[in-house]
Parts: sequence; structure tokens; C-alpha cells
Amino acid sequence: MLVISVHGLERRFRTVTAVYDLSFNVPAGAVYGLLGPNGAGKTTTIRMLAGLIAPTAGTAEIAGHPLGPDNAAIRAMTGILTESPGLHDRLTARQNLAYYGRLYGLTDGPLREAVDRYLDIVGLTEAADRRVGGFSKGMRQRVAVARALLHEPRVIYLDEPTSGLDPEAAKSIRALIASLREEGRSILLCTHNLDEAERLCDQIGILNGHLLAEGSPAELRRHGRPTTTRIELDGGPVDPAALAATVRALPFVTAVTSGAADLTVELAEPRQDTPDLVRELIQQGARVVAVSENVASLEQVYLDLVGERADRDAEGVHAA
Amino acid sequence: MRPDLVWIVFGKEWREIASNRLLLGAVAAPAIIFAAIPTAIVAFIQVNDIDMAQLGQIELMLAAFPDLPVKLAAQGFIVTNFMAYFLLIPAMVPIAIASQSVIGERQARSLEPQLATPIEVSELLAGKTIAAALPAILATWVVWVGYGLINAAIADPRLLRMVFSPQWIVAMASLVPLICVLSVLLGVIVSSRVGDPRTAQQFGAFVVLPIIAIAVAQFLGGQATFTMQQVLTADLITIGLIGGLLVIGSWAFNREEILTRLG
Repeated sequence: MLVISVHGLERRFRTVTAVYDLSFNVPAGAVYGLLGPNGAGKTTTIRMLAGLIAPTAGTAEIAGHPLGPDNAAIRAMTGILTESPGLHDRLTARQNLAYYGRLYGLTDGPLREAVDRYLDIVGLTEAADRRVGGFSKGMRQRVAVARALLHEPRVIYLDEPTSGLDPEAAKSIRALIASLREEGRSILLCTHNLDEAERLCDQIGILNGHLLAEGSPAELRRHGRPTTTRIELDGGPVDPAALAATVRALPFVTAVTSGAADLTVELAEPRQDTPDLVRELIQQGARVVAVSENVASLEQVYLDLVGERADRDAEGVHAA
Repeated sequence: MRPDLVWIVFGKEWREIASNRLLLGAVAAPAIIFAAIPTAIVAFIQVNDIDMAQLGQIELMLAAFPDLPVKLAAQGFIVTNFMAYFLLIPAMVPIAIASQSVIGERQARSLEPQLATPIEVSELLAGKTIAAALPAILATWVVWVGYGLINAAIADPRLLRMVFSPQWIVAMASLVPLICVLSVLLGVIVSSRVGDPRTAQQFGAFVVLPIIAIAVAQFLGGQATFTMQQVLTADLITIGLIGGLLVIGSWAFNREEILTRLG
């Protein structure tokens, strides 16, 4: 079942088009990561999907509610962690959370229970009655995360949840996101932390105005750059360069490079062709000591995609 | 408009205002000063003999109180004439609170998470408006009552009738809240365009200066206090101005504008 369904979304701000032709789907209980550089349109996308700003074109449905006519219902059933914590400094952490809990319709006992529960989850029970104006950045972020979850939303938008946090605080936030996924919540996670996206997301969309690529982390790693197979050799009667010449003639091999004691081979279908390749090498007298698959990192794919886009934009500017 | 949500915003704003001693001082100080000056004059007249030769122009104004002895008439004139300055409290205080609130929220970027809840912008603004207006209304009313009682105690109980006259009861019940709303709206609109609360407060002059001009004209014209007709006319003019500012405010303070310009 799809919880977030986006079709051709676009948002223009006077002369600037922040997002265009954006389409993606998020199933129930999945974490969808929007990866992109600053200014890629991640925050604009979240604001549109949270019913805060209207798209200039396109449609979207959040848990069956169409964006626009059902914005109030969408705001009631979604939780949002904004780019900046946006807390009320003169209020305590507890008062901040209670205020938002009331705005989301919680009252009395359930409100107190929710506030206490989430203060505990984000590790701020001890500091609950201190004004947030004196909190560290990490503590403020944790209050903001608790605020986004207080009313138990089905859909959660997280805009840079670990930005600027120390490693320990970032780890605890990531653990919380993972536990939310296990609870079956649908999460749209905007980040430019590639490691975080890879660890947490079921699907990733690389955004720079529109989606440049989309898929699971494993699918994206295979995007663009070919996967290579590295064969480590340990001496033997045959020189690697000679082996390379033999291997190059095989029908399923697309490219080969040889090192002092290894070969790097590009295969048409790595999973299917690697056993045949190794068999052939052994028949040729090679002593194979290790075989490994070199998959491009998400970072390489991301930089390739975003870099290509930047290059095209630059060419466009020059051409203009 | 859902009153419960307005009440929630009001409660939060009130908490923040109550925790800001500087702001509370800014509310109390003008109210006390505007009451203290005429009270000091009344006390001075009470303990000193009036020299008719020194009354000058005021002598003419005492005609407003033909039934009273000269000394009490002079005190009555001072007491009622200075009351026009009480209208400065609802003009000055709410704009200070409203601009502090809106610009403070802009700087803290706390408008976006609030707008992401089911609340409507009008409910958020209504809560803020009531929270900004209420301290000024309460301060004006408290000072007005205290002013009447203290001056009556210092001079003569007959001053009570002048301070709590029907036109001032109507002015306190209608004009003071209306001026507060006008001041808050001006504060909100200006705060949506400038980044510094002090700059926003400068725009309070648009409300403050006409009131000062009316008070001075009243004194120079020899009129001791407002007539009922003047109070009701002022009510209507203020309602008209509020209507105009609401139109501007609804354009300047919609959800998109707040997020894309102010957020």
C-alpha cells in the first residue's frame, strides 16, 4: 500500500523553479531518502507534501488524502522535523512539547503520557523542565524530533535530522528512525549524508530539482558505473598480461585491465559470469587466491549524477 | 475559527510574555508614568493654595466645572484632561509585544513547525493578538481604576464621577481594546517586513502620534475631557482602520508568505 504518492510535482518561486517533474512513491513502513545538494528542492518538497505550500503543478496523495483540498487532514496525520528545530526558547522542553501536543489535539492524560514518553525516548527526561534556550544544538534537535512524533503520525518528514549533531547524538537519532520504520511508520528523509541514507533508507531518490535517479541503495550503487570483478593471483606459470589477453576474448567479458598480480574484469552479468571466468583462468594455469566484486559506492554514484547535472547546468549557462 | 486552538496559542504566548521581565516592565512603566504625573499635580494643588493670577489659560477651562470650587475644578480639569494619555498605553504596548513575538518567532524559525500543525493562520494570529493586547488592556483598566480612587482620596470623592464618567466607561470598554487590536495588527504587518523589533516599534508612531495630537488639541481647545460623541466617533474610525489593516494583514500573513518570506 502506498502512503505517499507523488506525480509530476512542481514548485516555482517567481522566476526560480525549485522542483519540477517530481514523481515517486513511498509504501507503508518504508523509509524513502531524498538525497541532494543544498538548493536541490528537498525542503520545498517536504513543505509541499506537508500541506504547507502549494505545488504550482502536479498532484500528490498522502495516505489517500489529496494534497490541496485535504491539507488540514494531512497536517494532522503527519509529523515534520523542520530543517531548523524552531523551538520556543523561553519555554521548557516539556512546555514546548505540551504546546505542540495540544495543537495536534492531545489533552490531559494522553498528552502528559505522550510528552513523558517522548522525553524519555529522546533522553531528555532529566532536562525536561529546563528552558530550551539553554540547550545544546543536539538537545534542541532531540526536542524537535520528539515534537514531530508526539501525536504518533503515520507519515513522518525528517529534514536533515542529524545535521550538525555530534556522532553520538546522530547515532541515537538514526536508531530512533530505524525503530520508527520497524513500527510501520512511513518516513521521508531528506539528507545529504550519504552514509545515513544508505543505512536507513529502503529507497533513495537523488534530487536536484527533479529526480536524477531512484532505487534501493544497492540498485543505485550499480547505476552508471559498471560493476567490476577483481581476481587476485598468486604467481603461477602464466603472466597476468597474457591471462588478460585470453580473458578479453571471452564473449561475456567487456573490458580487462591487468596489474602486477591481479586482473580487473568488467562482465556483462557479473553474478552469472564470474564462475565461468574463474574456471577459464584456472584452465589457463592461473592460481586464483581471491575474487571480489567492486561495486561503486553510493557517494561515487551521487557525485557522478549531481556533478553531471552541474556540468550540464554550467554548459547551459555558458550557452546562454 | 476554533476557540480551543486560539486559547492554546494564547496560553503559550502568555507564558512567554510572563517570563520576559523586560517586556513586563515595558508594559507597566508607561501606565504608571501616565497616571503618576497628573496625580502628582493634583497632590501639589491639594497642599498648596491656588494663586488665581498664575492660572492663566487654565482659568478659562475651569468653566467646564461651574459647580465646583476653583481648587477642585483645577484638579478636576487636570485629572480628566490627562486621561487622554491613557489611550497611549493600548497604542504603545501591544505593538511592542506583537513585534517582539513575530520577529522573535522569525528569528527562532518557530513559525514553520506551528504552521505544520492543524492550526489555521487566522487562529495563530488571533491567539497572538489576544496575548499582545490583553496586558495593555489590563494595565490600562487597572491604572484607570487606581487613578480614580487615588485622586479621589487625595482631593475629593467628587473626582470619582469625572474619572468614571459614562464616556470614559465606554472608552475603556470599547476604544481601548480597539486601539490594542489596531496596534497589534500594525505590529504584525510591520514585523513581517522588517527584521528588528525596534524598527517595528517605530511604526507605533502611526497610532501614538494621532492620540498625542488629540490630547494636545483637547488641552489647547480648553476641553476637559472627551464627549460621548467623540468617543463613539473614535470607535468608528478605529474600526475602519482595523478593517483596512486586516485586508493588508491577510495578504501579508498567509501560510505561504510566512514560510517563503518569513519562515
